[in-house]
Amino acid sequence: MELNGLSIDQAPPISAPLRFFLTAPLFGVLAGILIFFSDATTLMSRFSTESIVITHVITIGFLGFVMLGAMTQMLPVLAGAKIPKVKSIASISHIFLVLGSVFMFFGFYQSNAFYNSIAFFGLGSGFLLILGAIAISLKSVIHFNATVKGISVSIFFAFSIVLMGLYLLFSYITQEISAMHHIVANIHSVWAIFGFAGILIIGVSFQVLPMFYVAPHFKDFCLDRVIPIISVGLFAWLGVNIFTPEYAYIAKAWVALFFWAFTTTVWLKLSRRRRPITDITIWYWRSSSIFFTLGLFSWVFGEYFNNEYIVIVSILIGAGFILSTMIGMLYKIIPFLVWFHLNAKGYMSIPTMNEMINKNVSKLQFILFIASLLGFIVSFFVPELLKASAISFILSMIVLEYNIIMPVLLYKKTLQTKPDFDMNMMQVAN
Amino acid sequence: MSTIKEFLTQDHRRCDELFAQMEETAVTSLDDAKVLCREFIDASERHFQMEEKVMFLEFEAKTGMTQGPTQMMRMEHTQMRALMQDMLRALEAGNKDKFFGFSETLMILLQQHNMKEEQMLYTMAQQHLSAESDRIVDMMDSIIVD
Repeated sequence: MELNGLSIDQAPPISAPLRFFLTAPLFGVLAGILIFFSDATTLMSRFSTESIVITHVITIGFLGFVMLGAMTQMLPVLAGAKIPKVKSIASISHIFLVLGSVFMFFGFYQSNAFYNSIAFFGLGSGFLLILGAIAISLKSVIHFNATVKGISVSIFFAFSIVLMGLYLLFSYITQEISAMHHIVANIHSVWAIFGFAGILIIGVSFQVLPMFYVAPHFKDFCLDRVIPIISVGLFAWLGVNIFTPEYAYIAKAWVALFFWAFTTTVWLKLSRRRRPITDITIWYWRSSSIFFTLGLFSWVFGEYFNNEYIVIVSILIGAGFILSTMIGMLYKIIPFLVWFHLNAKGYMSIPTMNEMINKNVSKLQFILFIASLLGFIVSFFVPELLKASAISFILSMIVLEYNIIMPVLLYKKTLQTKPDFDMNMMQVAN
Repeated sequence: MSTIKEFLTQDHRRCDELFAQMEETAVTSLDDAKVLCREFIDASERHFQMEEKVMFLEFEAKTGMTQGPTQMMRMEHTQMRALMQDMLRALEAGNKDKFFGFSETLMILLQQHNMKEEQMLYTMAQQHLSAESDRIVDMMDSIIVD
């Protein structure tokens, strides 16, 4: 009998997700600084060193970290899957991933094979360790609902993109860029954005929107078919890129169409939600839908402009859609974790979730973030705007770090000062 | 007759509906929301007691597990009972912000609690107690709340 999902230590230690969440905005700041010191024309090419590094600071350092941290927390609750030795796995993989990422950035900038080798080892072991542990935990799931299926599919894509990424990194170490390099890079990037992040977001939305916003439930067609249909499109993308690149647009349109259907559905469901509150997380869901729609259309129609707008597409989808969704989620999940863990330890007189982060400061963060994205897009045509946009992005990440660190400091302070230890709770707990 | 899992899951949905009505009403009238809040608290209390006084005990007797999942669920019930009273007090004090603060927290706690029950505990209970399912549902249905 599988009882791990409900045992007394069911909730993972708060440190497991928090170490990932608190690191993410720091990588965001780093990305902003790198953009600030980059030349606008260099960033227009997706294969320039600067573009590759900045993309990975965001995708690994921010998006990857948030998604992995969230999974350590969500899997026990959403799927009843307990990650084995989650505290050690989270801390070890976190160290490996931070080291690997930093060395990769230096390795790329300096074309240094030694740094890139350390990056290869750090990123490889960090990712494979935590993804392996997550995959093992999924084996214990009793009830495979649409969300758990989505998470499982996204983990498959995560493994694939890590292996492809390692292959690409290895070719930078050996300086042997094969004919397959660009094909693998194409598959790696599209699978990362749509297969790992996109499918994970879809799977989690199935639960989160009805649960936390009392939005209408997703229809069975959506729950059962959308992820398999998108996965078929992503495999088609792999096939056409290898064999018939001239037909890549078909796979592209296929994937884009169903993601567009999904993001439109999210918009409509949120409009019909019964919870009367409009908080910062709703703003982020809204902005992610708008950016994603624009991004998907630009991706498909960018085909006719020789892909020169691919950087805009990356900003719209990578930052506008995925980053927006992740930041919104952080605003929900961190106050809840702090409240939940303090309450479970017997501290009753603590601020409620929505008192832990100052609403005005989170609005400021949102405005800075959205302004920076719009600025990045316009700076494609008006390069003078790039530095101001980078500053806005850096500030938005600093404010985000401040916003999410406040509840964590409250947690630490409460444990230290023990304001009202309620013994009744402990009697129940024990 | 419905199974243990169906019966308790439907009851979750009933409580969810009351919760949603209460929040919707609180936007326009805190007094009306107070009535719905009491209704929601009563419905939830009845649900908790159906579990604590009947289903959990049957489950523990059958599986021999008294310190496992049912204990965790009892602890979360205690957390939620406290939050429900906080919510009602906020309504009585006419403090809308405070009310939505508590309702937000309760909402997430409640939903993740329900999910764990529906996806795991109820499924396990149904497996272990299927022979006595009708009797247990009957007992839960006719419970007198303290």
